Amino acid sequence: MPNKWRAIAAVIGVLALSLLPPAQALAHGVNIQYNSDIEITIVAKYDSGEPMAGAQVVVYAPDDPSTPWLTGVCDDEGRFSFTPDASKPGTWDVQVRLAGHGGMIHIPVGGDSTATSGGVGGYSYLQIGLMAACVIWASIGTALYFRRRRLA
Amino acid sequence: MKKRAVFIAIPLLVLVMVLAGCPGGKAAGTLEFYANGEDFVRQGFVSKDGWSIQFDHVYITLADISAYQTDPPYDPQTGADISGNYIAGLDEAYTIDLAEGGTDAPPILVGELDVPVGHYNALSFKMTSAESGPAAGHSLVMIGNAQKDGQSIDFVISVEEECQYQCGEYVGDERKGILSEGGTADLEMTFHFDHIFGDADTPLDDELNLTAIGFEPFAGGAQGKDVIDMGEMHLGHVGEGHCHCGCH
Repeated sequence: MPNKWRAIAAVIGVLALSLLPPAQALAHGVNIQYNSDIEITIVAKYDSGEPMAGAQVVVYAPDDPSTPWLTGVCDDEGRFSFTPDASKPGTWDVQVRLAGHGGMIHIPVGGDSTATSGGVGGYSYLQIGLMAACVIWASIGTALYFRRRRLA
Repeated sequence: MKKRAVFIAIPLLVLVMVLAGCPGGKAAGTLEFYANGEDFVRQGFVSKDGWSIQFDHVYITLADISAYQTDPPYDPQTGADISGNYIAGLDEAYTIDLAEGGTDAPPILVGELDVPVGHYNALSFKMTSAESGPAAGHSLVMIGNAQKDGQSIDFVISVEEECQYQCGEYVGDERKGILSEGGTADLEMTFHFDHIFGDADTPLDDELNLTAIGFEPFAGGAQGKDVIDMGEMHLGHVGEGHCHCGCH
């Protein structure tokens, strides 16, 4: 066999071997995967310490606070677990009710957990900035006005 | 001179425009405030000590009713005062008859306000002494009839104590207080009268019945001020949600 054909045969052989299923190589392999989702567990109890077993649970996502995102029931120890959608950062609200009494817990998830828009006292930051600028402007104007009068 | 006037007038004009819009650029909707004595008041119930109670009138006087947008959301369990980003309040005092209407009557509208949009997730109100009207001099007057084992007693139970309630978000079948542009949202002051008289449909060893007075003391002639400690009764709620309560 010419050297050229020997070389081609060798290459084909190596390729064929590489295509064989690597069953033996995985005999002691370890398959590790991870999930970055965070499971949240709440525990609901009355003030007396008694678990709210069987309580109704309603979970609201931050992007639609009027519509239940998930509903469920607490277990005998008052526990309930859920995994919030990581694509919806903000405050997740969980309502728990049983026999005419209930409560709500607010759980920040992800980066920006603010539940309401920014501002103080009902004013937006733009309004606050404008007001501050006006006060400064008015102060300077008043000072200049009296300064001119004194100079005159 | 003209130049100087313009120099001062322009920033003042801007300031007035900003203030006039308070809270200005935000869209607005209508926020309604309701009072609800629940079916206990409208339909009557059996107290923990077996008295079948029917109410003709339940006069409660409410004042300083305020809604808040809080962030982080107010938690009444902390006992702290509400600190809101925005506050909308009714100025007057209102005497409401919680027993008004039939057995299926809806909660009673106390008042409404045009307010900026947002989530009103906290509420405060006072149960205060009425200055005039059928409940004058009292913060709460319950008028009705109670029956047990062939006895029938017409009662008038009056309370003079005044209470301040600070509450978080309404807890119930639906979420309340979420106001969108041009829309209407509502908040509810809910009063749990089973906390005073107990409830035969609830186990006697339940916390509610352990702290409730029942009707027996009133059948024996006791006055409201003799036996009712409003601070212990926790009458005011937001739906099923508890409120921080201080009475005097």
